[in-house]
Amino acid sequence: MEQILKIEDLEKSFGDLQVLKGIDLEVDRGEVVCIIGASGSGKSTLLRCINLLEEADSGHIWFGGKDLMDLSTDINALRQRIGMVFQSFNLFNNKNVLDNCTMAPIAVRHIPKAQAEQTAIRHLRTVGLEDFIHADSRRLSGGQKQRVAIARALCMEPEIMLFDEPTSALDPEIVGEVLDVMKRLAREGMTMVVVTHEMAFAREVSDRVVFMDQGVILEQGTPAQVFGSPQYARTREFLSRYLEDKKP
Amino acid sequence: MNQATRKSGRLRAFVRNDHRYVFLGGGLLALVCLALISAAPSEHSFLGTDNFICGLLTGICCVFLAAAALALIVKLTHWKTYGGTFLKKPGPVRAARIYSYVLAAVFALLAADRLAVKLADTVRMCAAMDSNPPEFFLSMFYMTSKSMGTIAYGVKTTVFLALAGTAIAFVLGILMAFFRIQTPDKRDNDFVKFLKSAARTFASFYITVIRGTPMMVQALIIFFAGFNVFTHFTDLSVAEINRIWSTSTAGLITISLNSTAYLAEVLRGGMESVDVGQTEAARSLGMTGWQAMLKVVFPQAVKNSIPAIGNEFIINIKDSSVLSVIGCMDLMFATKSVSGIYYRQLEIYCMAAILYLILTYLSSLLLRYLSRKLDMPNTRGIPSSN
Repeated sequence: MEQILKIEDLEKSFGDLQVLKGIDLEVDRGEVVCIIGASGSGKSTLLRCINLLEEADSGHIWFGGKDLMDLSTDINALRQRIGMVFQSFNLFNNKNVLDNCTMAPIAVRHIPKAQAEQTAIRHLRTVGLEDFIHADSRRLSGGQKQRVAIARALCMEPEIMLFDEPTSALDPEIVGEVLDVMKRLAREGMTMVVVTHEMAFAREVSDRVVFMDQGVILEQGTPAQVFGSPQYARTREFLSRYLEDKKP
Repeated sequence: MNQATRKSGRLRAFVRNDHRYVFLGGGLLALVCLALISAAPSEHSFLGTDNFICGLLTGICCVFLAAAALALIVKLTHWKTYGGTFLKKPGPVRAARIYSYVLAAVFALLAADRLAVKLADTVRMCAAMDSNPPEFFLSMFYMTSKSMGTIAYGVKTTVFLALAGTAIAFVLGILMAFFRIQTPDKRDNDFVKFLKSAARTFASFYITVIRGTPMMVQALIIFFAGFNVFTHFTDLSVAEINRIWSTSTAGLITISLNSTAYLAEVLRGGMESVDVGQTEAARSLGMTGWQAMLKVVFPQAVKNSIPAIGNEFIINIKDSSVLSVIGCMDLMFATKSVSGIYYRQLEIYCMAAILYLILTYLSSLLLRYLSRKLDMPNTRGIPSSN
C-alpha cells in the first residue's frame, strides 16, 4: 500500500500544557483511520496540526513528498489536497450553498465558474442536497450544513479527508445522515482520518482504530483488535464507559 | 410586501377594534378642540371665528363631552358592573368609536387652521418686518428668514462634511483596520514581517493619537500646518493660499482623518467578531490569508458594522460643528455669523439646535429603514458624541 501521510515525533504545547507528546502515525492511501479517546487527549489538536491550522512545535508531517513543518513549504498548495470537515460546520455565512462549494475551486484552482458549479452540483447530489443549491447556508439544519461542508471539501478533489468530530454538534436523530455520507465516501476509497466519539461507526467503517490518551497514541490496530481485545487497562476503561452508555 | 400588508392589517384592526379609553381620550381631545376654537384665528385662517362652521365644530365637541360625562357617571355608579350597562352594548360602543373618529377629524382640521396656518402666517409676518422683534419666537423666525441664504448654506456644508467625511473615512478606515490586524507569521520572510509590524504599530499609534485628542485641536493643527506648508514652500500671497487651502478643505480633511480612527476600530471589531472558524474553513480549502479575508471575513465584517458606521455619520453631523473654529462655513459658523449680525444669541442658537435635531433625526430614521431592509440589528435613537 502506498503511504500518503506520515507523522513523525510530533509535539505541541499550549503554554505549559503539552498536548501532543511525540506522535507517530502513518496513513496509507484508501485507508480509513478513526482516532478515539477521551476529551482533552489531543485528538483534535493532532488533526488540526496535520493541515497546519495549529502549528506544531517540533516533528515532521510528510505529505505529498514534502514536510509540512518545513517553513519553506507552500502550505496553501498542500492544503488544497487535504480536505477538512469541522465540528461546527463553518459554512461561509455570506454565501449560499452553491457558492460555498464553488468559491475555493474558483479562487484557488482557477477553475471556470460553470465547470466548478457542475462539480459542486455533482457532489451536492451525492450528499443528497441537490434541492438546496440556492438555499441560504445559515437556514439549513445541522445535518444539512455538515453535508454541505463535506461536499465543499470534496469539490477541491482532495487526496485525504480529515473529519474533526463531524457529528458531535448534531442531535442523535440526524447523526445518521452524516455518517451515511461518510460511509459512502469510505466505500468509494477515500482516505479518511476521523476523530470521533461514534464507536459504532469506528468499528464498522474504519480499517484502523487509534486510541489516544494524554497526548500519546496508546494503542492502535484493527477495530477487532482495539474493541475486541484492548491491550491496556486505560483503553478498556475508556471503551467500557462507552459501552455502558450505549446500553439501553 | 409582507411587512406592508401586516402594517395595513394593523391599521385596519386599530380602526375596527373596541377601545377601552375612547371616552377618556376623546373627552380630552374635545377639550383641546374647544380651546383651539376659542383661540384667535390668524390672517389666512380658513375657518375664521364666530361663524356657522365654528358653531358646528363646538357642537360636535360638546355632544361628545356630554356623552363622556354620562359615561363617567355610569362608571362611577356601576363601578363593578360597568361591563353590563347599556354603554357596553355593541351599538353604543360602535357609535362612540365612530364618533371619536369624527372628533379626530375635527381636531386635525383645527390643528391645521389654528396651528399650522398660524405658524406660516407668523413666519411670513416676521419675514416682512423691518426690525428684529423683541419676542423670542418672533425674533427666531425673523432672523432665520432674513438670513435664510446663510443658514441654508450652513446646512448644506454640514451635510456635505458629514457625508463626504464619513465616506472618505470609511475607505481609509478599511485600510487602517487592515493595518491594525496584521500579525507577523512564522512563515513570512523578514521584510514582510517588518512591514506587518510597522503597519500595525502605525495604525495603533494613529488611532491612539486621534482618539485621544479633541477634534477642535486637530482642526486647528491641520489648518495652520497646511497654511505653513504653503507659506514656506510657495511664494503665494495669503489671499491666494486662502483660496487654495480653504477652511472647508481643511475641515473636510480633519473630519475624515478623525472618523478614520473611529471607523478603523469599528471595522476591526467587525472583523474580530466574525467566527474564527470561517477563516479556518477558508484556509483549510487552500485559500491564502488574503483570499480568506477578502472573500469570507471582510464582507461579513462590513455587514455587521453598518449600524455603527451609520452612527458615525450621525455623530459627524453633530461634531462637524467644532470645525467652525477654523471658520469652516458649516451650520454652526453660519449661526454664529447671524447672531453677530443681530446681536441676539439665544434665539438663533435654539434655531440651530432645532436644525441639527431635524438632520440627525431624519438620518436615524433613514438608517433604521436601511438596516431593516438589509436584515440587520436595529439601532435605536441618536448616538452620543465620541
